[in-house]
Amino acid sequence: MTIATQRPPLVRSSDRIIAGVCIGLADHLGWPVKYVRLGMVLASFAGGAGLAFYAWLWVMVPTADESARRNSRRPASPIAPAVSLPPFAGPAPAAGAAPAPSWTPPAWAQGVPNGVNVRAPDVGAQPLPQSSPAPVFASWFRVRRIQYGKEILLGAGLLLVAAILIARQFGVEVPLGTLIPAAAILGGAAIAWMQLDETRRAGLVDKTKADQAGGWVRLAAGLALVVAGVLVMVSGSGSWEQTWLALLASIAVLGGVALVLLPWGLKFWKDLETERAGRVRETERAEIAAHLHDSVLQTLALIQRRAGSEQDVIRLARAQERELRTWLYRDSAKDSGLLAERIAAAAAEVEDAHGHAVDVVSVGDAAMTDRHEALVLAAREAMHNAARHGGGAVSVYLESSDTGSEVFVRDRGPGFDPDAVPEDRLGVKESIIGRMKRHGGTAVISSSSEGTEVRLKLPVEYADKAENRNGETRT
Amino acid sequence: MNGPAEQFRPEQSQRTVRVVIVDDHAIFRSGLKADLDSRIEVVGEAGTVEQAIAVIAEAHPEVVLLDVHLPGGLGGGGREVISASAPLRGSTSFLALSVSDAAEDVVAVIRAGARGYVTKTISGLEISDAVIRVADGDAVFSPRLAGFVLDAFGTSPAEIADDELDRLSARELEVMRLIARGYSYKEVAKELFISIKTVETHVSAVLRKLQLSSRHELTKWAAQRRLL
Repeated sequence: MTIATQRPPLVRSSDRIIAGVCIGLADHLGWPVKYVRLGMVLASFAGGAGLAFYAWLWVMVPTADESARRNSRRPASPIAPAVSLPPFAGPAPAAGAAPAPSWTPPAWAQGVPNGVNVRAPDVGAQPLPQSSPAPVFASWFRVRRIQYGKEILLGAGLLLVAAILIARQFGVEVPLGTLIPAAAILGGAAIAWMQLDETRRAGLVDKTKADQAGGWVRLAAGLALVVAGVLVMVSGSGSWEQTWLALLASIAVLGGVALVLLPWGLKFWKDLETERAGRVRETERAEIAAHLHDSVLQTLALIQRRAGSEQDVIRLARAQERELRTWLYRDSAKDSGLLAERIAAAAAEVEDAHGHAVDVVSVGDAAMTDRHEALVLAAREAMHNAARHGGGAVSVYLESSDTGSEVFVRDRGPGFDPDAVPEDRLGVKESIIGRMKRHGGTAVISSSSEGTEVRLKLPVEYADKAENRNGETRT
Repeated sequence: MNGPAEQFRPEQSQRTVRVVIVDDHAIFRSGLKADLDSRIEVVGEAGTVEQAIAVIAEAHPEVVLLDVHLPGGLGGGGREVISASAPLRGSTSFLALSVSDAAEDVVAVIRAGARGYVTKTISGLEISDAVIRVADGDAVFSPRLAGFVLDAFGTSPAEIADDELDRLSARELEVMRLIARGYSYKEVAKELFISIKTVETHVSAVLRKLQLSSRHELTKWAAQRRLL
């Protein structure tokens, strides 16, 4: 084991002549490449043994890339390193920590105020030191045994074949007629099972790959090739009639096998789907957890630190609420970048700037044009004014229909006289009224002691009537 | 979110309204109880669908403040409580209360029979006013609910040939628009030169249409938002 680990791993090199087998082998054994290649060529003349060996290595040995990928995939799980470590350091705390939470919550949750919940942790703790290292040891050894088992089995099989061949050379009668078919059946079954295990793992590791059409094409092509090859071999000298008969028989056999294996296959498939669905759910949950952590938990922490300032707390809470609502209720079917969304974005900006709630209600929607851009800017200016001077919640209502778009911005402030605004104050005159007029719209400001309302109206021009998008069609 | 509080109305200050609060957050229930003013008497509380149905049947409140999302029952939340309490429909009104202002939640609970919908962020005075209004048999519309109504029914007035339930009249549209713009009932009345009572009549008519209409476009609108 120690010697094996000191050698570089047996991988096929990318710096190759045919498949990189010889270089890989030379690296692994620490021999010069030249000798390895020479040996391979020489062995090829000895009954093709070298060729067979080369082909076998080609198939069995992974390339350097594959090997690296496989190794890098393994410690992806945070638990994996602890489990795969030798048991003296890692597993004890790791295994102890894992089952502990599953024991304590029932005791806490039930909260039975008698001796039971005092003893419960003891009862729980008692089997832990005994049981926890045991599974670790077991899994550790099981993995080992399987790794070695495969190779030992293969070696034993090869030795057996060699022994049989040698025995035949020496004239011993070996019942090859029964041995070869039996070996073929065993080998075929083993390959099929190994294949199954491999595809299953691949499917779990990478869903998209399993769904690829390429996999099916390859499978079908391989099947066709094998069937054709077998047919040619079996009925090589026969006529077409015989071929058809053989084909018919094969299909009948295949049908029978499929009939037997179908329920099992379906069960396996369902199993796979369940696991996939579970994984998808897990990913979703992780995404939600990540989002909550990045947003809500951060904001809650901020709120705790700013608890003294009411204005800051309200602002933080509103911003977080808005963000969470968009995330929860966002209409994925709705196009983004339309008028309603732009107005909502402007409202959010004003809300952040002034710390007053700006509630937007929108009915219908319209595509953005330069004129709508002006409407959004004017509405934003009105919202800024409302939040700055109104000193309270601001209501915004947007209505878009076939005839045009209207925006109403209302506050509850003390009000002002629009005619008394000095000429040099450009906010209202220029940014709201002037801007709307330039783009063929109107702006009306009505103010009383109960509040101020800015009404912005942008009628549809014939030019952009065609691209006007409305929430629904009305007759 | 909601319009400003109505002015305190003296003619209603004499009586108290008996209310049951249904919400699965105990902290919110006690906070709300402390916020409600003296016109309102809380006669029961519940935290799940089953509890709510039992408490409402026993206490016979005039108004139930009902959270839309509730644990227990068949998973229907507030809607399930309303339909299970159908025998009391004549004497008990429901005012839905939720943190969510998604169209799904709002319209579903209104169509189940709630008389109004307010969000949990509004003040104690505003909730108290809404409770009184619902107890008087009127409907409580927030700007957002008015927006949903306008979105669902369309913003053009009714034509004569249409089914009465399927479209809002010109006056109802005006009232809905003003509510969506953040006007209180009193301000709507002032703007349209009508009495508050008339505003309330219009709003109740809209609520009835929203509950009963099987209008093609409403169905389509609801389907787009995965309602009903």
